[in-house]
Amino acid sequence: MDLLKDIKRKRVKQRQKKPIKRDAFNQISGLVRQYGLEKSFLDGLDEVEDYLATKELKFARIRLKVPVESPLFSLVTKEEYFLTMSVIKKVDCPYLRFAHSPEEVLLCKPLYRLNPALSPERLMRYHFETLYLHERTKVKNIG
Amino acid sequence: MKQLFDSDLELVVETDFIYMPLLFDPEIEREIQDFQSGKPLENPIKPETKSIIKLKGKHFIKTLNLHSFIDNYEAINPYSYQRLRNECLRKYQLTREVDGHFLDETLRLILFRITPYFIKKNKGLNRKKISDEEILDLIGEKTNIPEKYYKEAKTFGDLKPLKKILEELKNQKPLFKMTENGLHSDRKLHDWIHKAIQAKVMASEHHRIEKALKLREQWNQTKPEHIAILLYIADTGSLEIDGFGFTRHNSYKGEYLVYKRTGDYVLKDYYARSYLFPECRVAVSTYSPSMPFVMEKYKHPFLLGHKTGQEICMKDFVPSNEFKAENVIRTLEEGLTAMRYGYNGRKRNGYHSLDKMWVHIPTIDFEDYRI
Repeated sequence: MDLLKDIKRKRVKQRQKKPIKRDAFNQISGLVRQYGLEKSFLDGLDEVEDYLATKELKFARIRLKVPVESPLFSLVTKEEYFLTMSVIKKVDCPYLRFAHSPEEVLLCKPLYRLNPALSPERLMRYHFETLYLHERTKVKNIG
Repeated sequence: MKQLFDSDLELVVETDFIYMPLLFDPEIEREIQDFQSGKPLENPIKPETKSIIKLKGKHFIKTLNLHSFIDNYEAINPYSYQRLRNECLRKYQLTREVDGHFLDETLRLILFRITPYFIKKNKGLNRKKISDEEILDLIGEKTNIPEKYYKEAKTFGDLKPLKKILEELKNQKPLFKMTENGLHSDRKLHDWIHKAIQAKVMASEHHRIEKALKLREQWNQTKPEHIAILLYIADTGSLEIDGFGFTRHNSYKGEYLVYKRTGDYVLKDYYARSYLFPECRVAVSTYSPSMPFVMEKYKHPFLLGHKTGQEICMKDFVPSNEFKAENVIRTLEEGLTAMRYGYNGRKRNGYHSLDKMWVHIPTIDFEDYRI
């Protein structure tokens, strides 16, 4: 009887719908297409750390994310593909699939460095600038 | 498909297939790398031909067979197919309407048998019969035929292109040449596909071309000006000269309304007071010719109400149901006579009297026509 139950349970589990997880490629290629990003965007990724170090960003208000409809299965042209892959390679951070704009892509790495354990709920809800400023203030206060 | 052919993409044609630029995702890139290193693809479209080709550093993937695409274009894009088909048929003046109207017996009867009776050609007492050519000359003189019909008449008279197409079809020669292999701009391929579809349309219209050619050979001796007039009539479906005219029926295909204008006329009432009636068109339909009727919204003692399309009340007239030129002429004449001279003020015949007889019974009022 136990074996029968076990088989039935396994089959029910197999039949269950599994949500498709959006991966970084679909998300970033969607942004590349939507914002028409070009190779120069990669230079911006190199310079973002320096920029954040020199610029005094102020915590003015809580920014929420801009809703983005990214495709479930993205297919892009060769140029767009290589740009997308370069961005993914350069940023190389699990927060990337939560980025909803090029600005957030730029802030991915600095944010991850400040706190690599942010929950997906927070990453999906708040703009990375808000999260970055919040984490930076926390670090300063501890310091 | 339409979006693809309207874009600025570069496409490749190879062994009758269209190759589209390959779109990428990580899995596709992996497959491409395997493919380039010599591993076969997991699911090639057709093993004997290449599924992916590389040209000028770009990858292209096999998509549609050009022959299949052209053969099924009618189902793929019905709207565009119809547009191309009409464009092609119009180019050779092969629209069904034109040939149909040239062979339309009703129209010929109206034009060459009924029209001469009503239009004034002869001066004085000279009353010789007008020939068909003279009728067309007269129409040409009295009607302003747009220039485009003269151009179309030239195309209509030129039998060479149709003969060539027919010959090629009979010899089973392909009407279009396959496009060359290699990289093509989207626009170039688009134009080629349009040409191929038009060639296919011509092949499918084999019988019509034969029929049209026969008809045009019959009309070959006719003057181009006359052809232009006939094309104009076939296209517009109406004509009016000296108050006589005809117009194509909206409801019944291939049927016409033949009419004659009454001109302004005066009727007298019981007290010999005059009433000036405005002009109207008395018409007869070629679709089962019966009583004549007034086309416009009109009031008259012989019309029941004040609206359009009313039959004229004619007590002693029984129209013939046979469609013949004499019958149409007689019915029209009877209708015109009834309208202009049929009312007798002393007898107050018809549905209404011109003078107000029944003060308390509402009837049609003619006071506004009184002079």
